Amino acid sequence: MGVIFLSVMYRAWSRFFKCYYLKILNTLNSRRKMGEGKFMIVFDNVNKYFGHFHVLKDINLTINQGEVVVIIGPSGSGKSTLLRCINRLEAISSGSLTVNGVPIHDKTTDINKLRRGIGMVFQHFYLYPHKTVLENITLAPIKVLGKSENEAIKTAEFYLEKVGIQDKANAYPAQLSGGQQQRVAIARGLAMEPEIMLFDEPTSALDPEMIGEVLDVMKKLANEGMTMAVVTHEMGFAKEVADRIVFMDEGRILEEAIPAEFYVNPREERARIFLSRILNH
Amino acid sequence: MDFSILTDNFGLYLEGFKNTIIASVIALVSSFFLGVIVAVMRISPVKVLNWLGTGYVEFFRNIPVLIITFFFYFGLASIGIELDGLKAGTTALSIYTSAFIAEAIRAGIMSVPKGQMEAARSSGLSYNQSMRLIILPQAIKIVIPSLGNQFINLVKNSSILGVVAGLDLMYQADLISARAFVTFDVYLFVAMFYLVLTIPLSLGVHYLEKRLARSH
Ligand SMILES: Nc1ncnc2c1ncn2[C@@H]1O[C@H](COP(=O)(O)OP(=O)(O)OP(=O)(O)O)[C@@H](O)[C@H]1O
Ligand SMILES: [Mg+2]
Repeated sequence: MGVIFLSVMYRAWSRFFKCYYLKILNTLNSRRKMGEGKFMIVFDNVNKYFGHFHVLKDINLTINQGEVVVIIGPSGSGKSTLLRCINRLEAISSGSLTVNGVPIHDKTTDINKLRRGIGMVFQHFYLYPHKTVLENITLAPIKVLGKSENEAIKTAEFYLEKVGIQDKANAYPAQLSGGQQQRVAIARGLAMEPEIMLFDEPTSALDPEMIGEVLDVMKKLANEGMTMAVVTHEMGFAKEVADRIVFMDEGRILEEAIPAEFYVNPREERARIFLSRILNH
Repeated sequence: MDFSILTDNFGLYLEGFKNTIIASVIALVSSFFLGVIVAVMRISPVKVLNWLGTGYVEFFRNIPVLIITFFFYFGLASIGIELDGLKAGTTALSIYTSAFIAEAIRAGIMSVPKGQMEAARSSGLSYNQSMRLIILPQAIKIVIPSLGNQFINLVKNSSILGVVAGLDLMYQADLISARAFVTFDVYLFVAMFYLVLTIPLSLGVHYLEKRLARSH
């Protein structure tokens, strides 16, 4: 009796397991799974000079679709430069850099077309001061993607709501707090529906009480499967959503690790010193 | 002051006033657009444009407007292109002023934070689109006071037309004084006509400056 009961139970359970549990698990992971094996950003032996100054040294780094990579390191280590190479705000000097399958350093690459797919958020926001929040967000979709004004406004409103400031659509940037401005900047990037978002110290120019609201938006984005490269020293954010931490020093990537490993027990001495410095201030 | 000079020659004064306004307005608009184009060339990443722009500015702002006027009036005539005084003077004035306006606007462009261009470019806008939609509107706002000064100078410099029979205020004044054998009063009235143009211009610039400062 007991044996039969157990075996029935087992079958029922295993069927449930196969059908539903895996399905649920799959849906949860689907975004990551889909992206698996799809390299979004590939640095292959990239070097970059400013004149004689060697800023990036033999950079090898691969970021997969849906991955969130946090880049940290001391001031001047080349973090911004690394990020800015990805959308060719800086040109690389040697090596190869491929974004979404396109070699960006190639002369024949249409850089404006490539940039549509890469959103960038800056430390100092750089909203257009002579345009309203709504105009800031609709400008590129209209001028670059050729959307109609109505369509662009609809998209803008969708993303404004996502970053939680739909009521400021007609304000000018100067009328917003730093945190609000940065969220508009994120919405402006998202309105182009990019596949990659780059963030260069998005919270370092903000008053402490506004950092949370910006990080929350970024976390939401990360959880939705956006491919993100983020330069930030916000450890809470990194621990919560980063798939990998990349530690840079003097133009080199010294260490790549998952956050749990990196923050608890960095392999590199210099990473250890750096962490103790940002923790103790 | 002898007002009969004004009343007796009112038709001539008015004719001159009209032509001064025509020359000023045309030169104002064309020197502005020329100035913007030259400013953009001056900061262009394309070396050749850069040189051309720099050459243009350095050449035209460092020679007297009188000589540029003579070039368009006598110089072109000597190779068969006949321009009347009004046209030659207006052209010379436009070119001369545009060199100064280009410098003002270039300074304005340089004072727009570099990140504005980077933000525009990274959203996929081309260099030209970014310049036109993002950088220039901000730059021009910054330089409105100095543009205003250039425009006031332009109106005053339009008196150069008198030298090449441009039919403007100055030309008519010369005519009137030669006829009436009076000089001082004739030119005093001319000064007043110029003030009628320049003072509203000056006030307008002040108003614009204040309004723009308030809006952001
Ligand atoms: N346009 C440039 N011309 C010359 N040198 C530059 C330029 N941009 C950056 N550098 C130099 O390259 C180095 C790396 O700069 P980068 O901005 O990438 O560093 P970072 O890691 O982002 O530093 P921070 O934390 O201060 O932002 C620095 O020494 C910097 O002075
Ligand atoms: Mg930086």
